[in-house]
Amino acid sequence: MPLIRKPDAAAPAPETASDLAGASADARWAAARAMTAPGDVDALAKALSHEQNPRVREAILTSLARIGTRQSAGAVAPLIASDDAQLRAGALDALRAMPGAVAELLPALLTDADADVRLLACELARVIPEGAATAMMCDLLDRETEVNVCASAIEVLTEVGSPEALPALERCATRFADPFLTFSARVAAERIGGRR
Amino acid sequence: MEFVYRRTGMIFTEAKRYYVERRIADRMEAVGSATFASYFARLRTDQGGEVEQFINAFTVNETYFYREEHQLKCLTTDLLEERVRRRAPSDAVRIWSVPCSTGEEPYSLAIWLLENWRRVDAYEIEIVGSDIDTKALRAAEEGVFGKRALMRLPAELVERYFVPAEDEQWRILDDLRQSVRFSQVNLMDPAQTRPNGRFDVIFCRNVLIYFDDTARRIAAENLYENLAPGGFICLGHTESMSRISPLFEVRRFADAILYQRPIEGSDG
Repeated sequence: MPLIRKPDAAAPAPETASDLAGASADARWAAARAMTAPGDVDALAKALSHEQNPRVREAILTSLARIGTRQSAGAVAPLIASDDAQLRAGALDALRAMPGAVAELLPALLTDADADVRLLACELARVIPEGAATAMMCDLLDRETEVNVCASAIEVLTEVGSPEALPALERCATRFADPFLTFSARVAAERIGGRR
Repeated sequence: MEFVYRRTGMIFTEAKRYYVERRIADRMEAVGSATFASYFARLRTDQGGEVEQFINAFTVNETYFYREEHQLKCLTTDLLEERVRRRAPSDAVRIWSVPCSTGEEPYSLAIWLLENWRRVDAYEIEIVGSDIDTKALRAAEEGVFGKRALMRLPAELVERYFVPAEDEQWRILDDLRQSVRFSQVNLMDPAQTRPNGRFDVIFCRNVLIYFDDTARRIAAENLYENLAPGGFICLGHTESMSRISPLFEVRRFADAILYQRPIEGSDG
């Protein structure tokens, strides 16, 4: 028979841990993957700020997600304002993987001075408990000045919102008097009503 | 539930409470614990190897031979042809079935290759089956299967590769049984995944659906390490690596959509 059976551990282990400043991507990848204690957050955050290799960045983000504290989420959050789309998307994915920490950070992100950050932060509300997500999105709808940010919040409410959101949706649609936003708010209200 | 997650990466939501409670009740009865507190104390101290039994109780081992046959077709039509293009005859070709449950998948791979790959004699093909469930692994090594597991296998293949055993069961031929190596692996633990080395193709089907986002990312990175550069990973048909990790490239073949570890150097 041409199939063979080799003894256990026949092949060498792939990568081993080294350090985050190592010369090779494999060494930095292995180091990032091995650093999963809360005390590693500062070193991971520092490495993330200058790491150029997408694979190593991904490993750093996974370790920060795995630590899952407010500090580790806080190290990732600023990257959602990055001009690098890949880094921005990676940061959002990592934040989605730590819903507990994100719930604590969201109020600050939803009031960030940068409208793009507020818009992307709305997406993160999907991973937190429905009641808290509804309350945060409604609060945003009542004070937000950018129509696109409101549209993002309405989209989230369409998926996860509870009936408490209905008055805020109506107020927002009235305040902007924008045809698209009015349409979106109506669809959201219908969906939320349908889930009752 | 947190304990199961930490040990296995599997996430059970409130909706699965009955499933969880039922399995804990079974284990409490098996070890004679009258209260959950006394059982949990036993579990935390791993008294009598309870952690292993507990993990075994939570795994799902429902599978059958030639499941998702289109991926097997893709394996012989495209994947292996691409993997051996620059290899010398008698070089090793390594395939990993993880999780392998009670052995249906790794043995299916062995039978499929013997039946469908014209170069099967030209290379040293090594098939490894791994699972977190030690009870399932023992059954895999035993190689005895019932009607249900064999339902998709053509009768002539059952006749060729199995011998009848008791109670409408069939035992896989010794030669075939001895050609697959089995090992215990927790996909969340690199200390357990790394010793298995690098593979040309990994079949990792219908397990990541039980993991949460963080556990999926960790498992994806472990699987990445276990793939040779340019190697392929096959997931279940409802799973998408693109939603888990950007580490892999999507490859579309006639019979399947799969994920590939980029060739070394392309990622710096």
